[in-house]
Amino acid sequence: MSPLDKKLWRDLRRVKGQAAAIGLVIALGVMMQVMMSGLVHSLQETRAEYYERYRLADIFAPVLRAPNSVTPQLAAIEGVSRVETRVTGMVLIDIPSRDLPVMGRAISLPPGGDPGLNAIYMSTGRMFDAAHPEEIVLLDSFAEANGLKAGDNLVATINGAQRQYRIVGTARSPEYLYTTAPGELVPDDARFGVIWMNRDALAAAYDMVGAFSEALFAINRDATQASVLQEIDRVLKPYGGGGAYGLEDQYSNRFVSEEMSGLEVSASGVPPFFLAVAAFLLYIVISRMVQAEREEIGLMKAFGYRNREVGWHYMKMVLVIAIGGAIAGCLIGIGTGRAMINLYTMYFKFPFLVFVLDPTSFVSGVSVSILSASIGGLFVMRRIFRMAPADAMRPPAPADYSAAGQIGAWFAKYLDQPSRMVLRRVTRQPGRMMGAVLGIAAGMALTLSMITIYAGFERTLDLTFTVVDRSDVTVGFARPVGEDAIFALRRIPGVEVVEPTRAVGAVLRNGRFSHQGAVTGLTVAPELIRAIDSDYSTIEMPESGIVLAKELADLLDIKPGEMLAVEVMGGRQPVVDVPVVAIAQSLLGAPAYMGMEALNRALGEPGLASGAYLKIDKAFEQEIFAALRDMPMIAGVSLKSEMRTAFETLMNQGAGATRYVMGLVAFIITFGIVYNAARVAQAERARDLASLRVIGFHRGETAFVLLGELAVVTLLALPVGSMIGHYMSFAVAEGFSTELYQIPSLFLPESHGYSALVVIAAALFSGWLVKRDLDRADITTALKTRE
Amino acid sequence: MKISSVPRNPNLAFRAKGLTKVYGEGRTAVHALRGVDMEIPKGEIVVLLGPSGSGKSTLLNILGGLDRPTEGTAHFTDQCLTDMDDSALTLYRRNHVGFVFQFYNLMPSLTAEENVELVTEIARNPMDAGKALSLVGLGERRHHFPAQLSGGEQQRVAIARAVAKQPEVLFCDEPTGALDSTTGRAVLRVLRDVNDRLGTTILIVTHAAATAAMADRVIHFADGGIREISTNKTRLDPEELVW
Ligand SMILES: Nc1ncnc2c1ncn2[C@@H]1O[C@H](COP(=O)(O)OP(=O)(O)OP(=O)(O)O)[C@@H](O)[C@H]1O
Ligand SMILES: [Mg+2]
Repeated sequence: MSPLDKKLWRDLRRVKGQAAAIGLVIALGVMMQVMMSGLVHSLQETRAEYYERYRLADIFAPVLRAPNSVTPQLAAIEGVSRVETRVTGMVLIDIPSRDLPVMGRAISLPPGGDPGLNAIYMSTGRMFDAAHPEEIVLLDSFAEANGLKAGDNLVATINGAQRQYRIVGTARSPEYLYTTAPGELVPDDARFGVIWMNRDALAAAYDMVGAFSEALFAINRDATQASVLQEIDRVLKPYGGGGAYGLEDQYSNRFVSEEMSGLEVSASGVPPFFLAVAAFLLYIVISRMVQAEREEIGLMKAFGYRNREVGWHYMKMVLVIAIGGAIAGCLIGIGTGRAMINLYTMYFKFPFLVFVLDPTSFVSGVSVSILSASIGGLFVMRRIFRMAPADAMRPPAPADYSAAGQIGAWFAKYLDQPSRMVLRRVTRQPGRMMGAVLGIAAGMALTLSMITIYAGFERTLDLTFTVVDRSDVTVGFARPVGEDAIFALRRIPGVEVVEPTRAVGAVLRNGRFSHQGAVTGLTVAPELIRAIDSDYSTIEMPESGIVLAKELADLLDIKPGEMLAVEVMGGRQPVVDVPVVAIAQSLLGAPAYMGMEALNRALGEPGLASGAYLKIDKAFEQEIFAALRDMPMIAGVSLKSEMRTAFETLMNQGAGATRYVMGLVAFIITFGIVYNAARVAQAERARDLASLRVIGFHRGETAFVLLGELAVVTLLALPVGSMIGHYMSFAVAEGFSTELYQIPSLFLPESHGYSALVVIAAALFSGWLVKRDLDRADITTALKTRE
Repeated sequence: MKISSVPRNPNLAFRAKGLTKVYGEGRTAVHALRGVDMEIPKGEIVVLLGPSGSGKSTLLNILGGLDRPTEGTAHFTDQCLTDMDDSALTLYRRNHVGFVFQFYNLMPSLTAEENVELVTEIARNPMDAGKALSLVGLGERRHHFPAQLSGGEQQRVAIARAVAKQPEVLFCDEPTGALDSTTGRAVLRVLRDVNDRLGTTILIVTHAAATAAMADRVIHFADGGIREISTNKTRLDPEELVW
């Protein structure tokens, strides 16, 4: 090994604490990148694999009642590779522990239980026996959420007839990765059930013998879906069909896609900040390290080493740290990615897991680290290269403190010598101090933006469930009802306020921008569910016109005063042009509101409601539930408390869950940066401190010189970190916002306080570590060795 | 028409004309060299004497290709040092020059032997690092780090390092400043041997006026300029020096 390489390894060993701190920060930055992208890729891959293995259909075509004889006609459609028909319908499932029956779906399977499309994965028990019509297979997440298992009995109402069934097994299906209570947005395993049973038994129950109510299609790779859909609709129209849709519009898949794209946004939007902070730190540290080696550099140059030879020597040092950190980051990233994906597999209810890594994340992680390290090294080396070797080698040039002259007099009056040393150093070497301040500030910014995000999630919950929604119970009607039903609800003792609502599915279109969603009709001055403006005050429902959530308005690129086309997907399927009258603040979904009257008018169905919001007296809860259960027109009842819990679960287990890992990483990075700043200061001043000890200063006094510097740097970093963090949190909040919910970036003094505390705690701890080292160090070694 | 031609004396190692070095500007400017003219023949041992701050190190640095003058020219044989760019100067140092610095600059993280190897590795005609250390009496200490050596021992390592390269010119800035007389003489003996054996031109800066007796030529320096140059008819062996 050449002497220079020996020097390299010894130097690395000498600065190992510092090198480890930088390596760690880089490792975490890279880990974040690798973990998040690995997570996203694995989930996408797993989903694709799941869909393929269980032959999830490409096209779903519901129909009222089509005879089986149509099937060949469907199979003959150009581009269709496979057709499967089945009988499905609504069921009401009685759950003993619940006051109200739970809505669900019954789906037929062929006698063997293995359909050509939309197969299911048996997780417990066995497939039903075609000879026993009472045997059913139940969706396993629903079974688990309600404490049901194979062997239990289940009472369900199919087509008006209540019967007892026997659960023989539980299953998962790619079709039901995501279930919600009817009319709700947020998944809830407990409140939507899926029953699979033998086709003959179900056909009999629905009066569908010799017929089907849904056709499933697989299409050829090169087929154009739009034209196939058109053909299917044409064939099925006479039988009450016509609403065929593709997988991308399938309920569960759409949600899963949204969740994954949310995760993808976080994966691409958040880790770069971690990596950037790590890169910045690396830059600062490397430049200081190289600076400290200026004499050695001068010496090598004096011996006739070329600039590039000297440069390469230091670059190797930088690269060892950067690459070491990056590789460690990749490995940790793979590990944490694996752990996270396991959690997500459970969350998404995948029966198996395909773990894939994204090679580009390794490449980008490693190359960003190397690049920033190289830039850091090059910058400083360029300065040193330009220096004549004689200058680089001149014995430690004392920094020029002469300009501090006038203030010096003031110092002398009020400060003791060590304090003056601290202040002079800070004021006389502003470049170095700035670097340290910015480094710590960047770390704090990271922590601050994570803490801000936590508060943002809280705010989203609060805003959604206490400000926007002030109801206690939401009731959904089986079909639109008139005034009398609303009166009936009002008459229930304990019900304090009833607000009817009308919701219809609709496509909102503004030029080339469109959004498929729903329009909610509200009463003129709603109290329970409201559209609110940015001051949280109620937006009154206009006589005509539509109120859009901000996200929706952004999506449609529309402003108040402009016209929006609403294509209603119900009733007469009218298309109406309405003016956008206001923009509402909403953090959950992207709702659109209209006056109920106006909406009904457009639908040509005046006076009808599809649901109602209730405010109730908690004391009468049980009685009210009992009364609701007895009302035949009510199809579903949701308690806000349940919805809130479901939403919390969504945010804590879905895309939002990564925020905990990120928060932890942010914390460790912040700590690493502060610790590193302390170590660098220590290394740079080891000589001075020893000299102080020699002339008779006590350990405490010399430590004060060093720790005082750290304290000043830390204190200066706090406001800077606050500021950077404030802006960084906007970008990070954006990264955590999904199509389903928005995370606001809030300015909360306490968040700034907490992150400042994190930095201060890190500084205290690092200071303590350094102090411990100083106490152990003996004077002569420090004096003999150059820094 | 008068042609001002510099006589090309092939026996000259260095030729300096009007060397000026000014550090800083304006009121705080320091004139380290104020127009130095001189010639140093090949193969001589030259001693520079002069009070502290008189510009000796500055001159050495310029002739050694470590620094550039503010004004004036300096030649090494027929190469003009003051016209060279950085990489040419680097090559000059690498191929022709050995240094012993006033502040013994060893790499703290390398052992004595490795410090020598640092130079022999890129030299064209080096001697063995261990042998060079033996020359200065440190063969036994070759695996020690600078922090484990005394100041004088460190200085001897620096000399071994300069000598090991077997350079054409050797610049020694206070090589014996930190040494007792016996060790000092031993070190000077090494320099003398190199001069005898390889014909190396050696410039020694020193405060010890006695050293001058072993030189071919003695340059007295004062206030950034040459006050006097004297030549010794006979030079003494280092062992004969008294100080
Ligand atoms: N980088 C610099 N900036 C300003 N002045 C300098 C610089 N380097 C040297 N000087 C000044 O130039 C003058 C000559 O310095 P030089 O180091 O050549 O002296 P010297 O003769 O070697 O002294 P000594 O015997 O003390 O080593 C001195 O006055 C010194 O203060
Ligand atoms: Mg000097």
